[in-house]
Amino acid sequence: MTEAVWWAVARSEEVSADKPLNVDLGDQPIVLWRNANGVVRALEDRCPHRRAPLSLGCILGSGAIQCGYHGWTYDGETGRLINIPNLKGERKYPPVYKAKPFGVHESGGFVRICTDVKAPPPADDGDALPMSGTATVALQHEQYVDALFDDPSLLISIKGVRFSPYLFAELTEQEGQLMLERSCQWASPHWPAPFSSEFPLSLRIASDAVTGETDLTLLDDEFNLLLHATLAPVPAARGVTQVRWRAVLSPERSGLQSKILGFGTPLKVHENIDGAALRVLKPSASIHASDLREKIAARSAPQDEVA
Amino acid sequence: MLDIFEKPEPKTHDDPITSDPREFASRVNAWMPHDLMLTDAWFPLAHSFAVDKKPVRRAVYSQPFFLWRDANGNVIAAETHPNDMLAATKSEYTDADGRYPVIEKYGYIWGWLGNPDNAAPEHIPSIPYLPEGGGLPRHMLGTVRFDCCAPLSLENLIDLTHADFIHADVVGDEKMDSEKVEVFHDSETITMVRTCVNKSVAPIMKVFGGVRDDVQQVRQVIRIYLRSHAAIAYGRFSPGDNVQLFHPCVPETRDRTRLDYAMNTSNVKKTNPFRYIMPKASYKVSRQDSSMTSPQSPRYMRPEKRKDLHSPLDEAGQKYRVLMLALAERQANGDYAYRDNVSADCSDVIGYDAK
Repeated sequence: MTEAVWWAVARSEEVSADKPLNVDLGDQPIVLWRNANGVVRALEDRCPHRRAPLSLGCILGSGAIQCGYHGWTYDGETGRLINIPNLKGERKYPPVYKAKPFGVHESGGFVRICTDVKAPPPADDGDALPMSGTATVALQHEQYVDALFDDPSLLISIKGVRFSPYLFAELTEQEGQLMLERSCQWASPHWPAPFSSEFPLSLRIASDAVTGETDLTLLDDEFNLLLHATLAPVPAARGVTQVRWRAVLSPERSGLQSKILGFGTPLKVHENIDGAALRVLKPSASIHASDLREKIAARSAPQDEVA
Repeated sequence: MLDIFEKPEPKTHDDPITSDPREFASRVNAWMPHDLMLTDAWFPLAHSFAVDKKPVRRAVYSQPFFLWRDANGNVIAAETHPNDMLAATKSEYTDADGRYPVIEKYGYIWGWLGNPDNAAPEHIPSIPYLPEGGGLPRHMLGTVRFDCCAPLSLENLIDLTHADFIHADVVGDEKMDSEKVEVFHDSETITMVRTCVNKSVAPIMKVFGGVRDDVQQVRQVIRIYLRSHAAIAYGRFSPGDNVQLFHPCVPETRDRTRLDYAMNTSNVKKTNPFRYIMPKASYKVSRQDSSMTSPQSPRYMRPEKRKDLHSPLDEAGQKYRVLMLALAERQANGDYAYRDNVSADCSDVIGYDAK
């Protein structure tokens, strides 16, 4: 895995200055919290003293985090130990007394972390999309992204929209992203997809080749934007994938079915996956995904060596 | 004791707590508590009241113990249930009839796990404030469990700074003028004495024990009998009543611990609710401990490149690790002898005054 990869391990509203939040990046547990100025901090969720999770501790007024087991207290930015309360008086601790810090970047309503604390920050996302949620799915990360390419209906629902098995555009790589465009229909009674000559909707799926962070864009047949969403699947413990998502509906939507999108929740990210359907889902678009990922990795490898 | 006659040993042994700080640190950081399995020890398997004619089942390192009383009231400890007609295996830990050595003392049934020939009453730990014949009222006895391996549970206990954070609502927080930790050990025991000056009063003593002051002087002693995985937790509080807890941590499996505790509060006036409430605090306190030791436990199952960090307050925990590893190493080399007497009265060591 490349070092300077930023993973969206939380939504902004999930991270507070009141209570630490435990998240994972694969098998790596991480604790997130905000200091008094609202700046997000990220440390390994493991006190280097006796390996207790720091997320079971508390956030002090200074913005430092205190382990709930023996009170060891750490600076959020550097991870340096700053206090052992039971050792009375001022003490200086050697630099090795620290919890592992992570690079943190918050934008667009997502909190992203990088295992390389010195990594340059990623580009800003702009404003946070108003609708959001977190879904925890018992499916491995790469399988999740592949299923998104092959049949999004197993993972998400868009109100009144049916994803067809047909693509407007095959999976390709564009600037490090894997992109495809799927033909969609309204869910109202209609001529079945295999016999339809026209499709009124298209869903563009643009996915980061490494993180699988995906932009979804639903367009009508006049290229009007109906829905824009970001799905950020992150590998978590035990092969589980945690998906944080944000979405916005276009305020101007013409046509009855487009307007119905605005009633209730337009996007649902499923927690439970139909295993029987997933098992027989034939790999189609995703077959090319692994080739494209390898191509991107091969292209970036020499650059890493230089760096 | 017999071992000494059978296998003459040099009179002096190297103290496993080496004076070389590097070597000491390397032993401390080689701590893999899940890999430890100490035998030739008495384990307090059950409260006496829990064993009657119908067999009850216990385990030490998954090794089954079935306990029941015969017609004369004597306890029998067997490897298989009397109704188990299919049991085909018999371990090296029992005699020809599949029976373990067993002793009833201090209100507990103690089962011997190890070579039955080495079982001797003098290897039962000394617990000065428990009546040898048992008989404490039931409200002072109870069972709780820890979702972790037993040595981690005992390491938790012997570093009492943890109590200021995870049991603050029961025994008081870290606010005090000063704190001193002293550690004593031999090859079979480790004793930690913590003296706190003007410590914030334990809420349980304030609410139920009639203590009106805001601060109290505290002297807490933890003494661990290493092989038996059993600890004495003795606290003197002024003002306040002394706390007399027997805290065994039986390793039922490598990652789960059983604690049949005895909190002798007969020193507290019968009219003081503390006498009845304090033993029940174990139900709350044990879950608080498990909240930390349960996530800790899997993080000690595999070798870990990064060393744990330590503070001067961790002296007892560090020495506990080294002493346990030393015992395990000796046993791995076939040396099961007790070099120190665990049954000698330890009242002086823990500062217990029977009056």
